[in-house]
Amino acid sequence: MDFTFTDEQRMFRETIYRFCKEEVYSLCEEADLKGEFSLEVWKKLGSMGLLGLPIPEEYGGSGADFVTCCLAGEAMGHAGLDGGHTLALGAHTYLCAANIMEHGTEEQKKKYLPGLATGEDIGCMGLTEPGSGSDAAALATTAVKKGDKYILNGSKTFITNAPLAKVFVVFATLDKAKRHKGITTFIVDRDAPGISTGNPMHKMGCKCSTTSEVFFEDCEVPAENLLGGEGNGWRIALGGVEWDRSTLLSPFLGGAMFMLENCSRYANERRAFGKAIGEFQSIQNRIADMRVFLEAAKLAVYRVAASKDNGVMLNPLLASVNKMYVGDKGFEMCSAAVDLFGGYGYIHEYPVERGLRDAKLGQLGGGTSDIMRMIVARFMMM
Amino acid sequence: MIDYELTKEQKELQGRIAAFCRTDIAPAAASLDSAAKEKVPEILRGQFRKLGAAGYLDLLLNGDFVSQCMAGEELAKSCPATFLAAMSSGTAFGMALQCFGTQAQKARFLPGIASGDTIGALACTEAEAGSDLSGLSTKAEKKGDRWVLTGSKDLVTNAPVADAFLVLAWTDREAGLEKGLSMFLVARGTEGLAVGPTLETMGLRGAPTAGINLSGCSVAADALVGDAGGGYILLGRITEWLKLSLSAMSVGLGVACMEVSTGHGKGKKAFGKPIGLFEGVGAKLAIMFTQNDLGRLLTLRAAWSLDHQEAEAPVLASCAKLFTSESVNKIADLAMQVHGGHGYVKGSAIERLYRDARFAELAYGTSEMQRAFIARDSLNRYKPA
Repeated sequence: MDFTFTDEQRMFRETIYRFCKEEVYSLCEEADLKGEFSLEVWKKLGSMGLLGLPIPEEYGGSGADFVTCCLAGEAMGHAGLDGGHTLALGAHTYLCAANIMEHGTEEQKKKYLPGLATGEDIGCMGLTEPGSGSDAAALATTAVKKGDKYILNGSKTFITNAPLAKVFVVFATLDKAKRHKGITTFIVDRDAPGISTGNPMHKMGCKCSTTSEVFFEDCEVPAENLLGGEGNGWRIALGGVEWDRSTLLSPFLGGAMFMLENCSRYANERRAFGKAIGEFQSIQNRIADMRVFLEAAKLAVYRVAASKDNGVMLNPLLASVNKMYVGDKGFEMCSAAVDLFGGYGYIHEYPVERGLRDAKLGQLGGGTSDIMRMIVARFMMM
Repeated sequence: MIDYELTKEQKELQGRIAAFCRTDIAPAAASLDSAAKEKVPEILRGQFRKLGAAGYLDLLLNGDFVSQCMAGEELAKSCPATFLAAMSSGTAFGMALQCFGTQAQKARFLPGIASGDTIGALACTEAEAGSDLSGLSTKAEKKGDRWVLTGSKDLVTNAPVADAFLVLAWTDREAGLEKGLSMFLVARGTEGLAVGPTLETMGLRGAPTAGINLSGCSVAADALVGDAGGGYILLGRITEWLKLSLSAMSVGLGVACMEVSTGHGKGKKAFGKPIGLFEGVGAKLAIMFTQNDLGRLLTLRAAWSLDHQEAEAPVLASCAKLFTSESVNKIADLAMQVHGGHGYVKGSAIERLYRDARFAELAYGTSEMQRAFIARDSLNRYKPA
């Protein structure tokens, strides 16, 4: 048992934190106010190697381990980066590039990873459909093999990065009757005939990530773009859960640090009835609860990351626990932060308003909290 | 490098203690709760001797905190009252002596504490002083080469069965909390020491509790534990260990609630299927699992921190204590709901565990005190220059 990061990991985190705080934070604030993705932010993240962290160096990435990837996410959140840009990074790096890295052929890796690793090409992943969210095995996008091509038909929705993406990792079924066993994964290029994306959606939070539908109308995908073999899509989707429950949650963890710091500062500075509001117990209670959340969330996120680094099989119960806790409690804590700031908490120019909007996604994306409880209960009842 | 895995030795220990608790400790849990209070000491002595033979009490004196917390969870899962009595003797009394006592004090009491033949207790709280020790009134006056103790203590766990007490008293009230309090060893039978009637507690009834009265209670100079005036610091250390121990207790109790509830969820049928397959019940089981799992992580994290003397160990221990004690109450409540009317009946396990759980949020720093302490840590860190 060991709860210390290596010196190298700590230094890396510090570097990312400083960089993001000094060079990226204010850009994110402006972008969020406009509700727009910022290519400038994206390029800055790319310049630090953050868009291809886990990708091996030979494909242009940084070859970072899981824990380091989480530390980077934590540092970005801690520096105050908005949930939209970190989500865009998450979808790009962990849902798109990492899937190609883990399941791709040598040719696929050579073709796609270098562009993705620098952020020059933006990636996304399409699993959710209008008719299937948490029940992903019910997806209806079809793939039919015709000669040396697969023909895809159907549509995807809520696809993060889709409006900007060059590379799409897409789940479709070869035979809907087979449910899980029919699901197959493809890499689809933006310029493939028959693929199109909808208008960007207007979201409640994480506004700087672009989100849209993706349509496939007799979309032609070359057979060599099959990812991980026919019928292996479900396994790939489940494998992605490990990234989802650690690296994608890590910016929320950093966000909680950002929030705790800001709340503590504000509670020290803001005065009422002749004393700093931090002297009031009701304010202290919120700060204490944020701290407890932060400690628990930290342990939860790095447990999944460390298990992957150390080659321990991920316990699906624990992954669901992470998602449920960080999602639900994180939102509750962001709400407490807004309360702590009073009226200022409701104003965009103060640092906690955005957090509350962004945190709501934690309870919804990548499996709702209801579904997490269902998964845990199902295992317990076995 | 981050690694959450227990060592091979720790895993073996966990397995051994779990098996021992299941077969040797759990069977007396219900009777410790329901027995008339005059019958409790005999049953409890039996539990102590078994704990001694299994090496559990020695672990409290000499083991690392991670191992202690792991083993403690298993014991609390089998019988929370036995856990509390063992903690009060082995940790609150025993480890305090182990860390701060003289060779003679250790030689006199620790072999018995380790074997379970001697039971210890810690006497700090008073009617007017709990979290705020400045309200203490018990005092120790130097008379010749002896100390004379006067005052009374409240809510002393193990008092009805204890063979020896650690008593916190003023040796120099003018010097204030941090330099004026001292800890004394007082053996049962010392003239002037009287143990009050056993209190009727809501739960954890197998860990009998009473007040003690010290009236001209004279002890030799070597009854002082640690330095004169060092009582506050000593108590601070003990409280850190106890916060951690209570965290392990809460997790064990929470797991017990979860296990009986899961069993009920599988066994009890309604509308043609086990009730655990209904989403409403399943979600409750899932929350129990989540809170126990994260509570265990926080507890082991704080224990590891204390083992490695990290500066943040005290605040992590408070985080663990706050999280786990509130969790176990939530869990017990959910467990009662899962059991329906059957849980509301005396004799059901969940009825007992529900009462036992309430203690965790009250003892060794209420949740209110933990929050104040934790918040102070963050507020101080971000003070304006």
